[in-house]
Amino acid sequence: MQFPFARIASAIVLATCQLLAVAEAKPIAFAEGTTVMAEYGGGTMTEIQAYYSPNYRYSIGGGHLTLDSEVNDDEHDITYARLNFLPKRWNLESAQANVFVWAGAGEAQIGGTGDREFAWNAGAQFDYETRRIYASLRTDLHEADSFSHRIHTLQLGVAPYKHDYDTLAVWFVVQGRDYDDDLYQGTEWALLLRLFKRNAWLEAGVTNDGKAQAMLMFNF
Amino acid sequence: MKRTLIAVLLALSTSIAMAETIEATVNGLVCGFCAQGIDKTLRKHPATADVVVSLENRLVAVATKEGMDLTDAELRKALTDAGYEVKAIVRTETPIGEIRAKLKAAQ
Repeated sequence: MQFPFARIASAIVLATCQLLAVAEAKPIAFAEGTTVMAEYGGGTMTEIQAYYSPNYRYSIGGGHLTLDSEVNDDEHDITYARLNFLPKRWNLESAQANVFVWAGAGEAQIGGTGDREFAWNAGAQFDYETRRIYASLRTDLHEADSFSHRIHTLQLGVAPYKHDYDTLAVWFVVQGRDYDDDLYQGTEWALLLRLFKRNAWLEAGVTNDGKAQAMLMFNF
Repeated sequence: MKRTLIAVLLALSTSIAMAETIEATVNGLVCGFCAQGIDKTLRKHPATADVVVSLENRLVAVATKEGMDLTDAELRKALTDAGYEVKAIVRTETPIGEIRAKLKAAQ
């Protein structure tokens, strides 16, 4: 599934060049802030994460990820600790762009055998957003002795109106998610409705297979 | 010389006493979900009485408690530490309630 991802990458670069805006849930909320996230991804992935940010540059925390293959009976439960880092932020007059990177380690339980293995993970995200349009490109790698999973996620969104600090933000989002071949054949597409206000974020939609996708996030 | 110094100090103290609201123009302020960090951080400062954040106007306004002050340097540092870029800071006599009402009316 490298070629679909290459097409996705090209699309995002083009979109960025055209000054379309980008943004997704960020692994670092704000200084001295805590972020709690839960995501259900069409039955292929389920993830919960919690992070604390001493400052806006990094956050520490951990999570649990379940990867359930659509292709075979493989199921991997990965529990990890992770460090997220913001190496670069661009604060523009009406936009913001970020580069996030992260790395972590933990333990994976292999479904079927019940074996436990050391696992590590790494990833990166680029996002650019205005108050009307956004896009983000995220890549995750999870490795252990018995598996190597890559998940690439592209999100493009548009807001019907400009939200403000005290008003509800509404976004319509198209998501393309490319798993490695052992998890899912092809690229999984989803249409999502994203709502957020103050410290609460809710996102829900449906994939091209008719499966539900949802995410819930709180900052406090 | 002494009179000049006293006059300057008097003018300065009057200016500080009358400054009810500090308004900062901020770049990168595009997401309400993210901007709550600014609100949270500024409200922790002992001199802060109230905070208004407007994405539309790229504005962060802070009202200080009577007899207390938040210096420009402190405000700039708080906003920079929150991850944003400060373009300008001005002190006005406009009550923060009036600013909030104007912003609400404009929405």
